[in-house]
Amino acid sequence: MTSSSSRYLPLRALGELSETRYWMYLLLLPSLVMILLVIAYPTLYGMAISFRDMRLTRPGLDGWVGFKHYAGMWSDPVFWIALKNTVVWVTAAIVLELALGLLAATALNRDLPGTKIFAVLILLPYFLPNVVAGHMWALLLDPRLGVINDLLVRVGVLETYKAWFADPNTALAATVLVEAWHGFPFFALLLLAGLKSIPEDLYRAAAVDGAGVSAQLRLITLPMLKTVIAAAVILRVIGLVNSPDLLLILTGGGPGDATQVLSLYAFQTAYKEFNFGYASALSVVMFVILMIFAAAYIRLSRITKGEGDD
Amino acid sequence: MQLNKRQFLMGSAALAMAGRVGGARAANAISYWHHFTSQSEMTSLMKIIGSFQAANAGVAVTQENIPNSEYMAKVSSAVLTGGRPDTAMVIAERFADLTAMEGLIDLTERVNGWQGKANFPENRWTGLSSNGAIYAVPAFAFVDWMYYRADYFEEAGLAGPPTKFDEFLGACRKLTDPSKGRYAFGMRAGAGGFKYVIDVMEAFGSPIVKDGQPAIDRAAAVEAITFYSDLFLKEKVVPPSAPNDSYRQIMEGFRTGQTAMVWHHTGSLNEISAAMKQGNQFSTAPMPAGPKAHVARVAYAGNGIMKEDNIEAAWQWVSFWGQTDAALTLLEGTGYFPASAAALQDQRITGNPIYNAAVETLKFGRLPNNFVGAAGWSENVVNPAFQSVLTGQSTPEQAVDRMIQGLEAALR
Repeated sequence: MTSSSSRYLPLRALGELSETRYWMYLLLLPSLVMILLVIAYPTLYGMAISFRDMRLTRPGLDGWVGFKHYAGMWSDPVFWIALKNTVVWVTAAIVLELALGLLAATALNRDLPGTKIFAVLILLPYFLPNVVAGHMWALLLDPRLGVINDLLVRVGVLETYKAWFADPNTALAATVLVEAWHGFPFFALLLLAGLKSIPEDLYRAAAVDGAGVSAQLRLITLPMLKTVIAAAVILRVIGLVNSPDLLLILTGGGPGDATQVLSLYAFQTAYKEFNFGYASALSVVMFVILMIFAAAYIRLSRITKGEGDD
Repeated sequence: MQLNKRQFLMGSAALAMAGRVGGARAANAISYWHHFTSQSEMTSLMKIIGSFQAANAGVAVTQENIPNSEYMAKVSSAVLTGGRPDTAMVIAERFADLTAMEGLIDLTERVNGWQGKANFPENRWTGLSSNGAIYAVPAFAFVDWMYYRADYFEEAGLAGPPTKFDEFLGACRKLTDPSKGRYAFGMRAGAGGFKYVIDVMEAFGSPIVKDGQPAIDRAAAVEAITFYSDLFLKEKVVPPSAPNDSYRQIMEGFRTGQTAMVWHHTGSLNEISAAMKQGNQFSTAPMPAGPKAHVARVAYAGNGIMKEDNIEAAWQWVSFWGQTDAALTLLEGTGYFPASAAALQDQRITGNPIYNAAVETLKFGRLPNNFVGAAGWSENVVNPAFQSVLTGQSTPEQAVDRMIQGLEAALR
């Protein structure tokens, strides 16, 4: 009897614990441990590495170097090119994605016949992994076999096939278009949800007061979507700044450094040169930039301000 | 169905136990990482695994293919985090980095006691050795050569493939006809293009590294970059897409008839042979010689052991790759040139004239540059520096200066 009861003691103890208010903390514990292990520890470890010399191919180099890597960025021309390209790439992609997403969401919100099929079709690009989308567009824009080049030549826009990714004047723009195609459904989806929550009465009242389509967009739609837009923009900016995969497939940062961005530069520094110290410093800079952007954007868009504060 | 708390806890415990049981591996199961991805490569690999397992009862090989571009990222992460495979494919260009990060186990003693060693001449081991220690068993070789369109050469009245750079330039001029959308040379200046930039620099007399120190001869390197980039900028004998053209693009260009010549290695023979006829449509030739040196790479690839847990079974596996049968299975399936001298005597090689250029190249071919940081410098510095010349963003002098600075930083 004694041995039997002692064998089941842990389960019994758990059972008893589940009747108390501490059960909630126990249920939260796995998530907390996972967050600490998968997010907090790597982030802090990555930050710590940025202050050390850490090259996998130089096991002897493993010392504390303070701000050496950060100071090195000032005289690293590729860093500045990558920073500039990151700003251009992210800004252009976000503007295009937001515009296309708003257009798509507005059209889908009309509940016309066939909109459900269109909704699925519009969302398709977002379901494609970046790798698949990248290879698909590399083929579509291929200077030898690309369908898009063929179409543009047939309608007279181009005289001959164009090597979009081989020309520094068009490479970044071409990658932005690919990214916009891939990412706009994200905005369409969120904005459509936002549009559905705007009461129809507001539009009817505005129409009675003589407000046209553009006035309704400016005075009702956009203000009502402010929170959704802000959240979507922040999430998308974080995603774009941190994801080098599309550029890695389409251009590898080239030609030259024409499409080099910070995330790709950090990736190449870590996994081609095995210079984890400098790569971590680049990542920390990206992290800080994103934090500043998110804080400034939330502040400027005033989405945390209560309705009654005005 | 609803679970009460006791059932939930019991179920969780059972799942955890099942996970432990399922996660256990057989004692002689070894893992193998490689970067074979094509159908022909995978079919050949599965045949080799099948033969190995038939000959070594009780040893099971679990293969994992990793895309070539991500291979070093995964391997270096595995070294860093302790998640190493038992065995892994090692190519010459990555050997220095892999040994520098202490990713491979010294196999010298085992190799010296292995009867198969005699099948491999000394130079096969050189590219897979460091400080006198051997870290991998050679399996196959990538021999650089040139593919050319025999029919285009005949049409242009050219007697044969160029043997020197000046002949190469002359042939390029004759073979280019923009009105037909035809260019002479499929230059690779996108991913992986650094390889040929470095070759041309050495062919113009500029070494890269000597005794572990940067040794680029600026004047010779500038001359080399000027010659090579002029093919695109001045002579216009290269497709306009060259700055972004990688393996896939240069092969498509050659296969679709856009280009008449392309530099690559023996590994692409099967792919090209599947698209056009050997002899009538295309043939092979050794790389043309530069003004100061005749440069073509012979890169031996092999297999190494990354951890000691199952070292006996791992050694059986990596040494199996060095046997003639395995080499011939790979040759048959993929066209990959054997590293073993014994396998080179096979009739499939000696009786096929298309391989003459590779056999010829073995006599003068060089091993790839083998220094720590070579891969990072080549990909992150040489490639963008050369691309920036092609796109008019910098001059050959500026590009060479960037390469020199990058090399100094890589070796520091």
